[in-house]
Amino acid sequence: MNHRSAPIEVRESVAFESSYIRQALIQLRSHATIHESVILSTCNRVEIVAAVSNGASASAQLKAFLAEHQARKSFDGLDNHVYTYHGSDAVRHLFRVAASLDSMVIGEPQILGQLKQYYTAAQEAGTVGTILHRLFHRSFSVAKRVRNETAIASRAVSVSSVAVELAKRIFDRLDDKTVMLIGAGKMGDLMARHLQRGGVQSLMVTNRTFDRAVELAGRIHGSPILFEDFPRYLTLADLVIGCTGSPEILIGAATVDRVLRERKQKAMFFIDIGDRRNFDPAINEIDNVYLYNIDDLKDVAEENLLERSSEAEKAEGIVQQEVEHFTGWIQSLDQVPTITALRQRLEEIRQKELERSLGGALRNLSEEQREALEDMTTAMMNKILHAPLTHIKRNSGDEDDERTLYIAALKKLFDLER
Amino acid sequence: MDVTLLKVTALLYLLASASFVVYIFLARDLISRLSPIIFLTGFVVHTAALGVHFMQAGYPGIAQFREALSFYAWLLVAGYLLIQLKYRLAILGAIIAPLAFLMTLAAFAFGTGGGELPPALKTYWLPVHVTLAFLGNAVFALAFGVSLIYLLQENYLKRKKVTSVIKRFPSLEALDKLNYLLLVWGFPLMTLGILTGSMWAGIHWGNYWSWEPREISSGIVWLLYAALLHGRITAGLRGKKAALLTMVGFAVVLGYFLWGDSLFPSRHGGRFE
Repeated sequence: MNHRSAPIEVRESVAFESSYIRQALIQLRSHATIHESVILSTCNRVEIVAAVSNGASASAQLKAFLAEHQARKSFDGLDNHVYTYHGSDAVRHLFRVAASLDSMVIGEPQILGQLKQYYTAAQEAGTVGTILHRLFHRSFSVAKRVRNETAIASRAVSVSSVAVELAKRIFDRLDDKTVMLIGAGKMGDLMARHLQRGGVQSLMVTNRTFDRAVELAGRIHGSPILFEDFPRYLTLADLVIGCTGSPEILIGAATVDRVLRERKQKAMFFIDIGDRRNFDPAINEIDNVYLYNIDDLKDVAEENLLERSSEAEKAEGIVQQEVEHFTGWIQSLDQVPTITALRQRLEEIRQKELERSLGGALRNLSEEQREALEDMTTAMMNKILHAPLTHIKRNSGDEDDERTLYIAALKKLFDLER
Repeated sequence: MDVTLLKVTALLYLLASASFVVYIFLARDLISRLSPIIFLTGFVVHTAALGVHFMQAGYPGIAQFREALSFYAWLLVAGYLLIQLKYRLAILGAIIAPLAFLMTLAAFAFGTGGGELPPALKTYWLPVHVTLAFLGNAVFALAFGVSLIYLLQENYLKRKKVTSVIKRFPSLEALDKLNYLLLVWGFPLMTLGILTGSMWAGIHWGNYWSWEPREISSGIVWLLYAALLHGRITAGLRGKKAALLTMVGFAVVLGYFLWGDSLFPSRHGGRFE
């Protein structure tokens, strides 16, 4: 289940605590039809990925397990919230999760790390085999492809990263720019750090209570300045972040006009994220000055988010390609043993019948005749097998489903799964 | 021969234009690498066309208006390709490539074949003066394009609309610096263009300055750019105002280049008596 299929209370009720995962995995393995499994349990989703031999009964078992593992509720209430995917649909789902196409915030990068973490946990518990090993590693590279080939994660969607994105639209480089942070609020702290990651090296911090300015400056490697002095230092600042609870406007248009003249019109970027307006909105009207307040930044973030969804379509295409690839591999995995088993089965019958006949009615045959009989039965067997095997081996993508069906039919008809 | 080459050039410029425009809206890496290559190929063919013309006619193809257009387009493309070496400015390509296409198209669309060069123009002053003047002019055309991109982006940022198209623009600061660089190169070239013209006139016709309409308009634009350069250096005239002034200056030049000579017949318009 995920954030769309189930409300938080339901997700919580079945979530696996990390200390319990190992035990749960081992418990799952005790079911005869469940060969491999990985449990994924984050705040937005609880999923069990398993390689099983009998789809229907295994999924019933998995559901029951999900409902009962914490002895909380019977399964009745959960049925509406759980989704089950089989075969290539399951592969597609995992690839989409890894590529962050199924996330609440599409394109957010955390999910991949979480996936890797739960995969490792399952590996340690010994419940990962050939199939899930391949499946998960494939899903990691799908995520990488999506990241590289689409712009899904390249647009900033948090207020702080939008501010950095905008700063890079205005300024050619950030490493020779100076930031002034007014107010020691948490938001400003966060934004200053984002800007530093974006390249900013020089940082001034001021606050009404000088001690707090000193403390914050120490944490983010800035230089503290007295609150009374900050207007004098404005000339040096290329980016000014206002993050105070001050009820009156701290910097007016006239001040900026003067500062800009002193700066020879070098561009300034004001970011107002205070509880109330810290900067006069008229500042934005001045040439070479850009003012964004918290609402503006949020609007940009939202638009970027919309754009991500359009990039998501491209990503779905990549996922589709990879799913086909993987299903092909799974089938080849299924195909070889089935063919070998079928040959063996027929060969057994041939040998048995040959023995019986040669020991009975055909006892008196000459060595030559025996050989001829041997050749004839072998040829017969090969001729009979020829057409069905060609159908299974044919490697065309369109007939994937058909082929799966044939393999399943062969297994059943010839009793190959004894 | 040179006309065939010119047609191929126009075709390649058209292709390059399309590819630049597609890049702006689709942002495929392949296209961003491909467009400058198509453009460069067009430029090489164009160079060949101009070379062949020179070999056949014995004088550079700049005497007639349509020939001058082709030569001007060639300089413009050369300038763009030089900028492209340092800045990844596909968006500027989307402005320059269509311009180059139209100019080369015009160069063979309105009749071909070179007339006999008037005696007054059979001098080395012609290529020197025209090349310098055109070169300065082409640099200002590029500055015009850069300013246009600057103003577009500035407008988006002021209105707080940050679209994905903008994301493929260089930053405002980078555009402003490039604009300044072009001004610093374009201004001396323009000055030299005017000086050589004046000296040529002085030697051939006896007066260095005859208050021709072309001379007056060049003088006005020269003063404008001089003021802009001065303002940039001393008073920090930059950003939006600088971009606007750059565009105004070039608009005057362009307007005169296209219509001036037919409105005010003069030496520049083909009257040399």
